[in-house]
Amino acid sequence: MAFLRTPYFAVALGALLVVALAIVAGRITGPAMAQRLSAQAEEVIAEVGGEPVVARFASGSGLPSRHPLLSGGEGLGEGTRAKVAKAVAAIPGVGGIRWADGTALAESAAAPIHPLHCQNEVEALLRARTIRFEESSARIDAASTELVNEVASALRPCLGSIIAITGHTDSSGPEPGNLALSGERAEAVRQALIERGIPDDGLRVRGVGSQEPVAGLDPTGPANRRIEFSVIATEPIKPTPVDTPGPR
Amino acid sequence: MPIVFELVVLMLVAYAIGVAIGWALWGRDDVRGE
Repeated sequence: MAFLRTPYFAVALGALLVVALAIVAGRITGPAMAQRLSAQAEEVIAEVGGEPVVARFASGSGLPSRHPLLSGGEGLGEGTRAKVAKAVAAIPGVGGIRWADGTALAESAAAPIHPLHCQNEVEALLRARTIRFEESSARIDAASTELVNEVASALRPCLGSIIAITGHTDSSGPEPGNLALSGERAEAVRQALIERGIPDDGLRVRGVGSQEPVAGLDPTGPANRRIEFSVIATEPIKPTPVDTPGPR
Repeated sequence: MPIVFELVVLMLVAYAIGVAIGWALWGRDDVRGE
Protein backbone atom coordinates (compact mmCIF):
# COMPACT_ATOMS: atom_id res chain seq x y z
CA MET A 1 0.00 0.00 0.00
CA ALA A 2 3.06 2.21 -0.07
CA PHE A 3 2.13 3.51 -3.49
CA LEU A 4 -0.86 5.23 -1.94
CA ARG A 5 1.50 7.57 -0.11
CA THR A 6 3.57 8.49 -3.16
CA PRO A 7 3.16 12.04 -4.37
CA TYR A 8 2.18 10.84 -7.85
CA PHE A 9 -0.84 9.04 -6.55
CA ALA A 10 -1.82 12.05 -4.50
CA VAL A 11 -1.54 14.32 -7.55
CA ALA A 12 -3.55 11.91 -9.69
CA LEU A 13 -6.21 11.63 -7.02
CA GLY A 14 -6.25 15.40 -6.76
CA ALA A 15 -6.75 15.70 -10.51
CA LEU A 16 -9.67 13.29 -10.36
CA LEU A 17 -11.23 15.25 -7.53
CA VAL A 18 -10.80 18.51 -9.48
CA VAL A 19 -12.51 17.03 -12.54
CA ALA A 20 -15.38 15.71 -10.41
CA LEU A 21 -15.73 19.08 -8.71
CA ALA A 22 -15.73 20.89 -12.05
CA ILE A 23 -18.42 18.59 -13.47
CA VAL A 24 -20.62 19.04 -10.42
CA ALA A 25 -20.11 22.80 -10.39
CA GLY A 26 -20.84 22.99 -14.12
CA ARG A 27 -23.99 20.94 -13.77
CA ILE A 28 -25.24 23.10 -10.92
CA THR A 29 -24.41 26.55 -12.23
CA GLY A 30 -24.64 25.93 -16.00
CA PRO A 31 -28.39 26.18 -16.57
CA ALA A 32 -28.71 29.25 -14.37
CA MET A 33 -25.86 30.95 -16.21
CA ALA A 34 -27.38 30.14 -19.60
CA GLN A 35 -30.74 31.46 -18.39
CA ARG A 36 -29.23 34.72 -17.16
CA LEU A 37 -27.25 35.25 -20.37
CA SER A 38 -30.36 34.47 -22.45
CA ALA A 39 -32.38 37.07 -20.59
CA GLN A 40 -29.65 39.68 -20.98
CA ALA A 41 -29.27 38.84 -24.66
CA GLU A 42 -33.01 39.21 -25.21
CA GLU A 43 -32.95 42.67 -23.65
CA VAL A 44 -29.95 43.76 -25.62
CA ILE A 45 -31.36 42.44 -28.91
CA ALA A 46 -34.58 44.36 -28.34
CA GLU A 47 -32.55 47.51 -27.65
CA VAL A 48 -30.79 47.40 -31.02
CA GLY A 49 -34.00 46.55 -32.83
CA GLY A 50 -33.16 43.01 -33.92
CA GLU A 51 -36.42 41.57 -32.61
CA PRO A 52 -36.77 38.27 -34.52
CA VAL A 53 -33.24 37.19 -33.52
CA VAL A 54 -33.04 34.64 -30.72
CA ALA A 55 -29.81 33.87 -28.87
CA ARG A 56 -29.64 30.27 -27.72
CA PHE A 57 -26.96 29.66 -25.11
CA ALA A 58 -26.46 25.96 -25.70
CA SER A 59 -23.92 23.85 -27.52
CA GLY A 60 -24.74 21.59 -30.42
CA SER A 61 -25.54 18.79 -28.01
CA GLY A 62 -27.88 20.95 -25.96
CA LEU A 63 -25.63 21.46 -22.92
CA PRO A 64 -25.56 25.00 -21.48
CA SER A 65 -22.83 27.10 -23.00
CA ARG A 66 -21.63 30.69 -22.92
CA HIS A 67 -21.34 30.73 -26.72
CA PRO A 68 -24.70 31.74 -28.21
CA LEU A 69 -26.19 30.55 -31.46
CA LEU A 70 -28.10 33.43 -33.09
CA SER A 71 -31.02 32.50 -35.30
CA GLY A 72 -33.98 34.27 -36.81
CA GLY A 73 -31.99 36.98 -38.53
CA GLU A 74 -32.82 35.94 -42.09
CA GLY A 75 -35.06 38.91 -42.75
CA LEU A 76 -32.76 41.54 -41.29
CA GLY A 77 -30.24 43.66 -43.13
CA GLU A 78 -26.51 43.19 -42.73
CA GLY A 79 -26.17 46.35 -40.65
CA THR A 80 -28.77 45.25 -38.11
CA ARG A 81 -27.28 41.79 -37.95
CA ALA A 82 -23.85 43.26 -37.27
CA LYS A 83 -25.32 45.45 -34.50
CA VAL A 84 -27.06 42.48 -32.92
CA ALA A 85 -23.89 40.39 -33.04
CA LYS A 86 -21.81 43.18 -31.49
CA ALA A 87 -24.38 43.89 -28.79
CA VAL A 88 -24.71 40.25 -27.75
CA ALA A 89 -20.92 39.80 -27.78
CA ALA A 90 -20.55 42.82 -25.51
CA ILE A 91 -22.52 41.18 -22.68
CA PRO A 92 -20.00 40.27 -19.97
CA GLY A 93 -19.48 36.53 -19.88
CA VAL A 94 -20.56 35.80 -23.45
CA GLY A 95 -18.08 33.94 -25.61
CA GLY A 96 -18.14 33.45 -29.39
CA ILE A 97 -21.15 34.43 -31.50
CA ARG A 98 -22.34 32.03 -34.17
CA TRP A 99 -25.16 32.63 -36.64
CA ALA A 100 -27.43 29.72 -37.50
CA ASP A 101 -27.48 30.87 -41.13
CA GLY A 102 -23.93 32.13 -41.09
CA THR A 103 -21.04 31.17 -43.32
CA ALA A 104 -18.62 30.10 -40.62
CA LEU A 105 -20.23 27.45 -38.48
CA ALA A 106 -17.31 25.48 -37.12
CA GLU A 107 -19.21 22.73 -35.41
CA SER A 108 -22.44 22.28 -37.32
CA ALA A 109 -23.33 20.28 -40.40
CA ALA A 110 -23.08 23.42 -42.50
CA ALA A 111 -23.61 22.73 -46.19
CA PRO A 112 -20.29 22.26 -48.00
CA ILE A 113 -19.48 24.81 -50.68
CA HIS A 114 -20.41 23.76 -54.19
CA PRO A 115 -19.52 26.71 -56.38
CA LEU A 116 -20.78 25.11 -59.58
CA HIS A 117 -24.00 24.28 -57.84
CA CYS A 118 -24.34 27.98 -57.06
CA GLN A 119 -23.82 28.84 -60.67
CA ASN A 120 -26.48 26.34 -61.71
CA GLU A 121 -28.92 27.82 -59.23
CA VAL A 122 -28.32 31.35 -60.44
CA GLU A 123 -28.60 30.25 -64.06
CA ALA A 124 -31.85 28.50 -63.26
CA LEU A 125 -33.17 31.71 -61.70
CA LEU A 126 -32.14 33.78 -64.67
CA ARG A 127 -33.37 31.28 -67.23
CA ALA A 128 -36.97 32.16 -66.54
CA ARG A 129 -36.55 35.82 -65.64
CA THR A 130 -34.11 38.56 -66.50
CA ILE A 131 -32.78 41.42 -64.44
CA ARG A 132 -34.40 44.35 -66.17
CA PHE A 133 -33.00 47.83 -66.42
CA GLU A 134 -34.64 51.10 -67.21
CA GLU A 135 -34.55 52.11 -70.86
CA SER A 136 -30.94 52.78 -71.99
CA SER A 137 -29.79 53.18 -68.41
CA ALA A 138 -27.90 51.20 -65.82
CA ARG A 139 -30.56 51.56 -63.14
CA ILE A 140 -32.08 48.26 -62.14
CA ASP A 141 -35.81 48.24 -62.69
CA ALA A 142 -37.79 48.23 -59.45
CA ALA A 143 -39.60 45.10 -60.56
CA SER A 144 -36.29 43.20 -60.63
CA THR A 145 -35.28 43.83 -57.02
CA GLU A 146 -36.94 40.60 -55.92
CA LEU A 147 -34.94 38.69 -58.52
CA VAL A 148 -31.73 40.37 -57.36
CA ASN A 149 -32.56 39.30 -53.78
CA GLU A 150 -32.97 35.74 -54.95
CA VAL A 151 -29.70 35.86 -56.89
CA ALA A 152 -27.94 37.18 -53.78
CA SER A 153 -29.34 34.30 -51.72
CA ALA A 154 -28.30 31.80 -54.38
CA LEU A 155 -24.77 33.24 -54.44
CA ARG A 156 -24.37 33.36 -50.69
CA PRO A 157 -23.21 29.71 -50.32
CA CYS A 158 -20.43 30.56 -52.79
CA LEU A 159 -18.82 33.16 -50.57
CA GLY A 160 -15.13 32.65 -50.99
CA SER A 161 -15.38 32.06 -54.72
CA ILE A 162 -14.80 34.74 -57.30
CA ILE A 163 -17.98 35.52 -59.19
CA ALA A 164 -17.88 37.20 -62.58
CA ILE A 165 -20.79 39.43 -63.57
CA THR A 166 -20.95 39.96 -67.30
CA GLY A 167 -23.24 42.46 -68.95
CA HIS A 168 -24.49 41.78 -72.47
CA THR A 169 -26.53 43.86 -74.88
CA ASP A 170 -28.16 43.17 -78.20
CA SER A 171 -26.48 44.45 -81.33
CA SER A 172 -28.78 47.39 -82.02
CA GLY A 173 -27.06 50.71 -81.64
CA PRO A 174 -23.36 51.68 -81.77
CA GLU A 175 -20.97 49.15 -80.28
CA PRO A 176 -18.97 51.55 -78.03
CA GLY A 177 -22.26 52.60 -76.45
CA ASN A 178 -23.23 48.97 -75.98
CA LEU A 179 -19.90 48.18 -74.36
CA ALA A 180 -20.22 51.08 -71.96
CA LEU A 181 -23.84 50.31 -71.13
CA SER A 182 -23.25 46.61 -70.56
CA GLY A 183 -20.34 47.46 -68.25
CA GLU A 184 -22.42 49.96 -66.30
CA ARG A 185 -25.28 47.50 -65.94
CA ALA A 186 -22.95 44.78 -64.67
CA GLU A 187 -21.58 47.32 -62.20
CA ALA A 188 -25.09 48.19 -61.07
CA VAL A 189 -25.83 44.54 -60.42
CA ARG A 190 -22.55 44.25 -58.52
CA GLN A 191 -23.51 47.21 -56.31
CA ALA A 192 -26.91 45.70 -55.70
CA LEU A 193 -25.33 42.42 -54.62
CA ILE A 194 -22.87 44.22 -52.32
CA GLU A 195 -25.84 45.96 -50.70
CA ARG A 196 -27.28 42.52 -50.06
CA GLY A 197 -24.20 41.31 -48.28
CA ILE A 198 -22.09 39.63 -50.94
CA PRO A 199 -18.49 40.76 -50.25
CA ASP A 200 -17.19 43.07 -52.95
CA ASP A 201 -13.78 41.45 -53.28
CA GLY A 202 -15.36 38.35 -54.75
CA LEU A 203 -17.27 40.13 -57.50
CA ARG A 204 -15.71 41.04 -60.83
CA VAL A 205 -17.59 42.91 -63.53
CA ARG A 206 -17.14 43.19 -67.23
CA GLY A 207 -19.24 44.44 -70.10
CA VAL A 208 -18.96 42.78 -73.49
CA GLY A 209 -21.56 44.76 -75.39
CA SER A 210 -23.02 42.57 -78.10
CA GLN A 211 -19.84 40.52 -78.66
CA GLU A 212 -21.23 37.38 -77.08
CA PRO A 213 -24.80 36.84 -78.17
CA VAL A 214 -26.72 33.87 -76.86
CA ALA A 215 -25.72 30.81 -78.88
CA GLY A 216 -28.21 30.11 -81.64
CA LEU A 217 -30.02 33.43 -81.36
CA ASP A 218 -30.13 36.40 -83.67
CA PRO A 219 -27.66 39.00 -82.32
CA THR A 220 -30.29 41.70 -82.60
CA GLY A 221 -32.75 39.71 -80.51
CA PRO A 222 -33.80 41.32 -77.21
CA ALA A 223 -32.97 38.11 -75.34
CA ASN A 224 -29.32 39.10 -75.71
CA ARG A 225 -29.85 41.94 -73.26
CA ARG A 226 -28.87 40.00 -70.16
CA ILE A 227 -26.60 39.67 -67.16
CA GLU A 228 -24.64 36.47 -66.76
CA PHE A 229 -22.99 35.13 -63.65
CA SER A 230 -20.15 32.65 -63.57
CA VAL A 231 -18.02 31.28 -60.77
CA ILE A 232 -14.35 31.63 -61.66
CA ALA A 233 -12.35 30.38 -58.73
CA THR A 234 -12.72 29.02 -55.29
CA GLU A 235 -10.88 30.57 -52.41
CA PRO A 236 -10.87 29.06 -48.97
CA ILE A 237 -13.30 30.72 -46.60
CA LYS A 238 -11.84 32.74 -43.78
CA PRO A 239 -14.30 32.33 -40.93
CA THR A 240 -15.51 35.30 -38.95
CA PRO A 241 -13.06 35.56 -36.07
CA VAL A 242 -14.70 34.86 -32.76
CA ASP A 243 -13.61 38.13 -31.24
CA THR A 244 -14.95 40.39 -33.97
CA PRO A 245 -18.65 39.49 -34.11
CA GLY A 246 -20.13 40.21 -37.49
CA PRO A 247 -23.34 39.84 -39.41
CA ARG A 248 -22.48 36.30 -40.49
CA MET B 1 -18.13 24.28 -26.06
CA PRO B 2 -20.42 23.49 -23.18
CA ILE B 3 -19.63 25.30 -19.96
CA VAL B 4 -18.91 21.99 -18.17
CA PHE B 5 -16.02 21.23 -20.52
CA GLU B 6 -14.65 24.72 -20.14
CA LEU B 7 -14.83 24.48 -16.35
CA VAL B 8 -13.07 21.10 -16.34
CA VAL B 9 -10.25 22.42 -18.51
CA LEU B 10 -9.91 25.63 -16.52
CA MET B 11 -9.85 23.90 -13.16
CA LEU B 12 -7.41 21.23 -14.35
CA VAL B 13 -5.07 23.92 -15.60
CA ALA B 14 -5.33 25.79 -12.29
CA TYR B 15 -4.69 22.53 -10.44
CA ALA B 16 -1.66 21.76 -12.58
CA ILE B 17 -0.25 25.22 -11.92
CA GLY B 18 -0.86 24.76 -8.20
CA VAL B 19 0.84 21.36 -8.19
CA ALA B 20 3.80 22.75 -10.10
CA ILE B 21 4.21 25.64 -7.66
CA GLY B 22 3.77 23.35 -4.68
CA TRP B 23 6.29 20.91 -6.08
CA ALA B 24 8.78 23.68 -6.76
CA LEU B 25 8.44 25.11 -3.26
CA TRP B 26 8.11 22.00 -1.11
CA GLY B 27 8.76 18.96 -3.26
CA ARG B 28 12.51 19.16 -3.70
CA ASP B 29 14.78 16.60 -2.12
CA ASP B 30 16.82 19.10 -0.12
CA VAL B 31 13.65 20.67 1.32
CA ARG B 32 12.17 17.31 2.27
CA GLY B 33 15.51 16.31 3.80
CA GLU B 34 15.20 18.95 6.55
